[in-house]
Amino acid sequence: MKEETKKTQAYSRHLISKEASEHLDNFNALLSEMMASAEGKPEALNGVTVVEVGQANYPGIISSCMLAEFGAEVIKVEPPEGDPARKISQYGVNVNGDGIPFLMESRNKNFITLDLKTEKGRANFKKLIGKADVLIDAMRPGFMDELGIGYRQLHQMHAGLIYLAISPYGHFTKKGKEFRNIPDTDLTAQAEAGYPALIGDPEKPEPRNYPLKAGVWAAAYMSAGLAVAGTLTALFFKQRTGEGQMVDVPTYDAISTWQGFSHVWGFTFEMPRVRVGNFDWCLFPYGYYETQDGYVSVAAAADADFRGLLKLLGRWDLENDWRFLYDRITDNVEKLKELEAEIKKKLAKIKSRELVKKALDYSSKAAKDPIRGKGFPIIVETLLPRQVLEEDHWKIRNAFVKVDVEKDGTLQYPSSVPKMSVSPPRVKKINCGIGVDNEKIYTKYGLDK
Amino acid sequence: MTEDYFSFTDKIFDRSGNFEKPEALEGIRVLDLAHVIFGPVISKWLALYGAEVIKVEEPEEGDPWRTASYWAKYWKDSAPFFQSFNPNKYYVGVDLKKQKGKELILELAKKSDVVVENFRAGLVEAWGIGYTTVSKINPRVIYISCSGYGQWGPLRFFPSWDLIAQSMSGVARLTGFGGNETYKLPDYYGDFYPGLIGAISVLAALNHREKTGEGQFIDMTQTETLMRMMHNWFYMELAGEDLKNTGNVDPSMAPSGIFKTRDEKFVAIAIATDEQFMALMNAMDRKDLMTDTRFMESSMRLKEDNADRICAILEEWVHSKTESEIIESAKEKGFAAAPVMDDLRMFNDEWRRERGSLVHFEDDMYGKGTWPGTGVALQKTPERFKSLSRPVGYHNHYIFQTLLGLSKEELTKLEKDHVIGYWGNRVGQKPPDYYDMEKDPIFNFERGERR
Repeated sequence: MKEETKKTQAYSRHLISKEASEHLDNFNALLSEMMASAEGKPEALNGVTVVEVGQANYPGIISSCMLAEFGAEVIKVEPPEGDPARKISQYGVNVNGDGIPFLMESRNKNFITLDLKTEKGRANFKKLIGKADVLIDAMRPGFMDELGIGYRQLHQMHAGLIYLAISPYGHFTKKGKEFRNIPDTDLTAQAEAGYPALIGDPEKPEPRNYPLKAGVWAAAYMSAGLAVAGTLTALFFKQRTGEGQMVDVPTYDAISTWQGFSHVWGFTFEMPRVRVGNFDWCLFPYGYYETQDGYVSVAAAADADFRGLLKLLGRWDLENDWRFLYDRITDNVEKLKELEAEIKKKLAKIKSRELVKKALDYSSKAAKDPIRGKGFPIIVETLLPRQVLEEDHWKIRNAFVKVDVEKDGTLQYPSSVPKMSVSPPRVKKINCGIGVDNEKIYTKYGLDK
Repeated sequence: MTEDYFSFTDKIFDRSGNFEKPEALEGIRVLDLAHVIFGPVISKWLALYGAEVIKVEEPEEGDPWRTASYWAKYWKDSAPFFQSFNPNKYYVGVDLKKQKGKELILELAKKSDVVVENFRAGLVEAWGIGYTTVSKINPRVIYISCSGYGQWGPLRFFPSWDLIAQSMSGVARLTGFGGNETYKLPDYYGDFYPGLIGAISVLAALNHREKTGEGQFIDMTQTETLMRMMHNWFYMELAGEDLKNTGNVDPSMAPSGIFKTRDEKFVAIAIATDEQFMALMNAMDRKDLMTDTRFMESSMRLKEDNADRICAILEEWVHSKTESEIIESAKEKGFAAAPVMDDLRMFNDEWRRERGSLVHFEDDMYGKGTWPGTGVALQKTPERFKSLSRPVGYHNHYIFQTLLGLSKEELTKLEKDHVIGYWGNRVGQKPPDYYDMEKDPIFNFERGERR
């Protein structure tokens, strides 16, 4: 074990006690086995068939991908020209016409073409649905119903069907109807969920002072997560009762409701929050700071942690400074700024690695303190993605896997999450050409060619 | 004439009969050893859909999030945010460091279907209440351990927060305009999203167990979950360079951005497909651009120079319109546009109330309130709020008598030995000032003599 690991282990006295060692040995044996490839292990959703239709709707595409990682047989049904989602990609980068998000979210799926605008296409579709457990409808609300293959029609021929509807404003309510033509995108979903109103620095020059979007697809992934959680909840009910149902997910409301802080703030204060740059509304310090040679993230919000931070930075004098003597988290942002300026000044004089080491040394010493009142100020380097890839920890955990992609060699995929001891999710294959699985799926489900 | 689709769906999602409908997770018992956000939101999902969740806290201390609140303000002696992700749970106070306390936990674990914990990696194992111990007395248990970096690997014992997970995954460096400016994903995305994926993995494991009878251990990490949602890995591999930070532009959609309207509001617009592009050009009355080879196909539109140009044209158009003109036009023509909402506007939004994203509900202890649900509508087994949070140890007598069959005398002894306990006299942990605990039938369940 590396020196550093020993130190981090010492974060808790309990872990180095004698009685702990037997439990930990058993546990470690289980874990090392779990880190190995999932190949050959059972799959949680083995035997579950999922059909996905959608038009440039990533929450739909991501949710069917998550279900496929857990072992469902996912069949993505596309029109002969393919889902336009394929073309959505950062600066248009693609492999054989398929963009980055599409390649990422095509794990383990089957791709077939069916022209739902034709009688034959719809007949085949119904045949397929007759054998499916879940239909993901990520089309414009009402579109499938107009074709006679929406929930209203399908549940009559198949009472066990779970019909997952994914759209910006949902498939019911007055607003849902009025806004049904508005398509889904991550950016507009973030906006309607009030997310950009919380990000950015209002003191920057225009237009950098505008509300700012999250730099990842925060809304699309949250929506997909909610959709999958809803589907699996319905699937559990189906396993016990045989009954299917309709599940409705509004992508434009995903972040706002699941995180919920906006709603709670609205309820208890009857006003919106103002943006405070990289401050946090609950915790301080809890943010990113420039160092002499890069960036660190500092989380030292609890009283003891904050005092620990002052000690390791050599700024214990601030502890008794009248300006900060009372509650640090006041509604007085100006005072917080003064305090932050002091901390910033100090951090900027030290190298990132040195700060990380200082915090680690401090905390492992503090862990041995009998009354445990010395705190655990945490400092880590604020990593760029390419630095993340170099981290040994992720190699040992197989957090990235090489996967064959069509005829074009391999791509490095982030592994499926989480690690599970019996039926782990996994990436098995990527073969996402339009209609590549027509032959196999048409035959298996008895569709007319 | 066939019924209008939305009148059909409004009927099947009508919320008035929700309490008469079945609960999907009825009969599932969850032992919740978790604290702060990452773990507790897993059991929030399960509790809202009918699972019986028993939340275990340290006497006199409680979940640290009980005392964390925005600008240190509280609501009826409780932290409103803590309330929002701890509904429908039973609250017991047990000292996990005492041998007797561990025995109680194992007794509860024996009778549970799911155990959730998010202590430092390995800690529950060291205490003898981890998966390797619980699975011996309850082989069907699904045990989920949540941590920053996982239970295995050199970083495993290193502590984590949402912020730290954002930093260790690379997410921290992706928001903003680049240079020396980067922003975190607010409201603890690094807890809420991984927590949601944690709930998914528990549900997947429950589905597996329903078919096979097998339980299992789940190693859930914040950082890996965030890494799974980043497009940067492929971009680096395929383009051979880092993906730049682009402020309000989504480089996979052109045009896209957040723009200021004539009435000084902000709207987001993003164009994902050629069809949507034509819809926007129609709305802007720019037929000339529909046949412009720089813009007519997404492969050309996404090239950086062209994307910048079309964004500038769009920005100018938005400047000349009001927010409501743009939204009306988006509804009519079919492109993606949305106002940048704020906390209050969302809270007052009729749509969110009608959907049930915001739930009005009257709690026995805290009275009337409006709280966020899951946002997801399940037609036959909808979520429901039954209660808000309760002070530390509120259900001690109820749970230990009804579930473990302990006698009043045994409980009194456990109280005297400080194995089980109650709230400290602090805001966030204690009952609201106005509430008379002496008269509470659950707190005083079959209690007889007061302690």
